[in-house]
Amino acid sequence: MRHSGRVAIEVRGLTKTFVTGRRRARRTIEAVRDISFSVEPGERVAYIGPNGAGKSTSIKVLTGILHATSGEVQVLGLVPWRDRRRLTRRIGTLFGQRSQLWFELTPLQSFRLLAAIHRIERAEAQARVAELAELLDAGDLFDQPIRSLSLGQRMRCELAACMLHRPEILFLDEPTIGLDLLAKQLFRDLLVRLNHERGTTIFLTSHDVADVEHVARRVVIVNHGSIIYDDAVATLRRTLLATKLIEVGLSSAVDIPALDGVTVLEHTATAARLAVDTARRSVRDVLDVLLDTWPVADISVVDPPLEDVIAEIYGAPR
Amino acid sequence: MPPWVGVAVRTGARRVLAEPSALLMQVFFYLLVTGAVTSLWRVAVEANGGTVAGYDARALTWYLALSEGAYLAVHSRIIEEIGDDVAGGTVASEMLRPAPVVGVRLATELGKALPRLAVNCGAGVLLCLLTVGAPPSTAGLLLAVPAMLLAGACNLAAMHGVAALTFWLRDARTSWFLYQKLIFIFGGMLLPLQVLPPWLHDVAVRLPFMTMTYVPARLASGHVEPELLLVQLGWLAVLAAFATSAFAGGERRLQAVGG
Repeated sequence: MRHSGRVAIEVRGLTKTFVTGRRRARRTIEAVRDISFSVEPGERVAYIGPNGAGKSTSIKVLTGILHATSGEVQVLGLVPWRDRRRLTRRIGTLFGQRSQLWFELTPLQSFRLLAAIHRIERAEAQARVAELAELLDAGDLFDQPIRSLSLGQRMRCELAACMLHRPEILFLDEPTIGLDLLAKQLFRDLLVRLNHERGTTIFLTSHDVADVEHVARRVVIVNHGSIIYDDAVATLRRTLLATKLIEVGLSSAVDIPALDGVTVLEHTATAARLAVDTARRSVRDVLDVLLDTWPVADISVVDPPLEDVIAEIYGAPR
Repeated sequence: MPPWVGVAVRTGARRVLAEPSALLMQVFFYLLVTGAVTSLWRVAVEANGGTVAGYDARALTWYLALSEGAYLAVHSRIIEEIGDDVAGGTVASEMLRPAPVVGVRLATELGKALPRLAVNCGAGVLLCLLTVGAPPSTAGLLLAVPAMLLAGACNLAAMHGVAALTFWLRDARTSWFLYQKLIFIFGGMLLPLQVLPPWLHDVAVRLPFMTMTYVPARLASGHVEPELLLVQLGWLAVLAAFATSAFAGGERRLQAVGG
């Protein structure tokens, strides 16, 4: 990749305020407040948060659509809102609810215009389209009218469209929205493959926690305009949640006695699901009790779903 | 000229040609409207002793065929569509391409207008030949060909400029409604500007709307006035500058307040 060796994205004290309302009822809204983070070239980062948290505003500032009210932002060494035109040659954007392909045309016909806009020579554009067709396993889709493609197929073509100029960073806003489970999984795999094979930095926002789990290695959580978490996805569950789930298969029905630090989530004649507050009681201790006193046929300890973890973080006091 | 201009024009044309049934419907509508309006005017001409404001039945038929053809070749709801795109954030996402948003949109829309213009002209000429015969002046008709292209370009540039006001006004429907009415009255779409009262005529010839339908129609109706092409070129420069600066201002506003 063409990364210059510097960080891909550098944000220091970013604040963005909007003024809304008419003269007398004018008020200032702080959409993003004093945000700082940096992204290394080749990283896969999920930038998530509930609706209204400031994600979209952040992405608009990072891509140059909005300028910052205060703070410093550099993307690939450029100040996005000052050098937007130059930056657009080096970044790709994919918004799940907006198409950059023309409905009546084939993807190939749309690619021709996008290549011309990016000043890519015709022969070079053809070579890149062939490469992308192979990489995204989409060659058979490129010469069919967009309107005849399924949403999943169209999104593969959208991904090809935003990769045509070989961007160093790919900004994706809700890229899997509306896709079915299989199409989502395929799309996530493609993003990871792009990152592996081309070193493209991935900066992703999504409300789908599976996107975060499968695509990102690092997660930045923003809420009420501020960053409230920034670490590896793998450590998210480990460090932030003092809860473990124990799933027990039972060989016969049993009454569950009250156990300190343990909450019964589900209980049937053949199975039980318990949540252990590890701050109050160790998992090992609970396992010992269960194995000694219950007719256990099968037992497993799992982390709670990432969705629950993130919901807990969103709900944490400001 | 940037390399994307030609490709954008071709892409726009392909988009229209990809929907032949829509193109056919558009020609059908054009013939229906033009047939009805020219019939009405022919009755008015006969009742007025053979001419109206210096136009006889043949000249008026050619006039209306070209004015309607120029008007209907351009997608009339562009102002509303751009307004929706501004409000919905599509324009913001188009800012993330290394080419001016308004330039790409204008070139694409011009490309979309070309097949419609060609089909309308063909059908209009056929209608006129069948109903009133040859044009009053072949030279005038030849001058009307570039005038039709310039008429489409002027109309598109003006509509993009007006649509850019949505960055501030937030509602494109009112602007679209007013714009249509201005073309009807000052553009000479349904009647030659000479039919207007003198004071209104004097106003109309000083406004850009006359470049969008009146000029090609005037030329095709036997008035060999090549200076009208210069008037169109002049207004095209002004309207393109208006559209470009309005979009640039809108993009700056978007950067400041979001969208």
